Amino acid sequence: MQKNNNQTDAELIELAKNDPELFGLLMGRYQVQLSHYIRRMTQLGQDDVQDLLQEIFIKIYQKLNEYDEVLKFSSWAYRIAHNHIVDYFRKAGARPKFNSLEDYEWEKIIGASVHIEKDIMNRDCVEKVKVCISQLPMKYKEVLILRFVEEKEYEEIMDILKKPKGSVATLIARGKETLIKKLKEQNINCF
Amino acid sequence: MKDLIKETIEKIKDQGIAPEPRWKYLVKKYGMWCVFGIAVFFGSISFSVAFDMLRQLDWDLYRFAHQSAIVYSLSLLPYFWIVLIGIFLTLAFFDLRKTETGYKYGWLKMSLASIGGIVAIGFVFSSVGLGGKFNDTLARDIPYYGQHMMITKESQWMQPENGFLSGTLTAISDGKLEINDLNGQKWNVVLSGKTLIRPAVNVAKGEMIKIIGSKKNANDFEALEIRPWMGQGMMNGSGIGRGGNAMMNGGRGMMNEN
Repeated sequence: MQKNNNQTDAELIELAKNDPELFGLLMGRYQVQLSHYIRRMTQLGQDDVQDLLQEIFIKIYQKLNEYDEVLKFSSWAYRIAHNHIVDYFRKAGARPKFNSLEDYEWEKIIGASVHIEKDIMNRDCVEKVKVCISQLPMKYKEVLILRFVEEKEYEEIMDILKKPKGSVATLIARGKETLIKKLKEQNINCF
Repeated sequence: MKDLIKETIEKIKDQGIAPEPRWKYLVKKYGMWCVFGIAVFFGSISFSVAFDMLRQLDWDLYRFAHQSAIVYSLSLLPYFWIVLIGIFLTLAFFDLRKTETGYKYGWLKMSLASIGGIVAIGFVFSSVGLGGKFNDTLARDIPYYGQHMMITKESQWMQPENGFLSGTLTAISDGKLEINDLNGQKWNVVLSGKTLIRPAVNVAKGEMIKIIGSKKNANDFEALEIRPWMGQGMMNGSGIGRGGNAMMNGGRGMMNEN
């Protein structure tokens, strides 16, 4: 196991195709990241997040032969997770809500969007901004999470969402613009 | 956290879950490229047919048809083939977008790749005569297509009511020609001092010509301009042939009375 732990993702994938135990090593590498991603994209409780994560890992295992080394494994895994979350909400007939971020995660999005200094952010103001962000269309919220909370590069977001780089940049810019517009509409001028 | 990994591995083993075979993925991957290839192929065929059709037409007749260049051009367009090109282009575009790496490129690059592929291959097909052969086959095997959906040089030049006539010269005398039109009808064509005979016209029995003018009676046609069947009858693009200005009085293309 120790030897396998030094292997690259691509090498582990090859081995895991014939040995599910080795797939456990891959799961171990991405379990935390994907778990946070699912939580950020949904407002599900920890148990439900774990259930979704297990379904996603099984899906990844079933699709191991589809993996192309041109992509980073993490981008590919995020893509599968993203699609699974979208499917989940479609089947459940519900819309993902957006209030399951930790405070530091909110601050990342707010800071990136309205250029505020952390020390002048007051609690009441942050709460108001959170409401505005929650009202953003899903397409903007997901890129803002990927870019500013997950801290993914544009290329990675492009691979995860399967959208051209230009579209990703446009979505991020429009997401920020829409947020600023909403803040102005609601006279939130507390920064 | 560790439990999730253990539970997942157990679930995989218990339920006999295995990675889907690679061939399924490869079929899907190459299937998308095949569909793209098929769309570009048929789009190119449609393009070459449309291009061959348009290439053989005379585009300067709007002046004689008393229409604007735009209206006249619109009346000549092969809409059936344009719609087909549009369908195959759309299919190629969206299929390319669905390929494994298609998402990396913006709509402009994807559009240019689809349009460029169809146009470039279409020109190749046209240059080897594939479009023309395909069109001929359709016209022969599908009568409705040949009668109603094709705009040909023949249909363009067999409108005596509108001043366009074509046929084979059967007799030539001073100031008069006799022709058998494309439907086999005999016409007396009157030439006047103002009749322009284009330089490349060989006015001789058995030659096919195109005539612009006006219908006078059931079998009489007054010629304003005479062109050879192929092309507009300019020589080396200059419009001046043997006989100077190629007017009836000042000389003519090449008139062999016999």
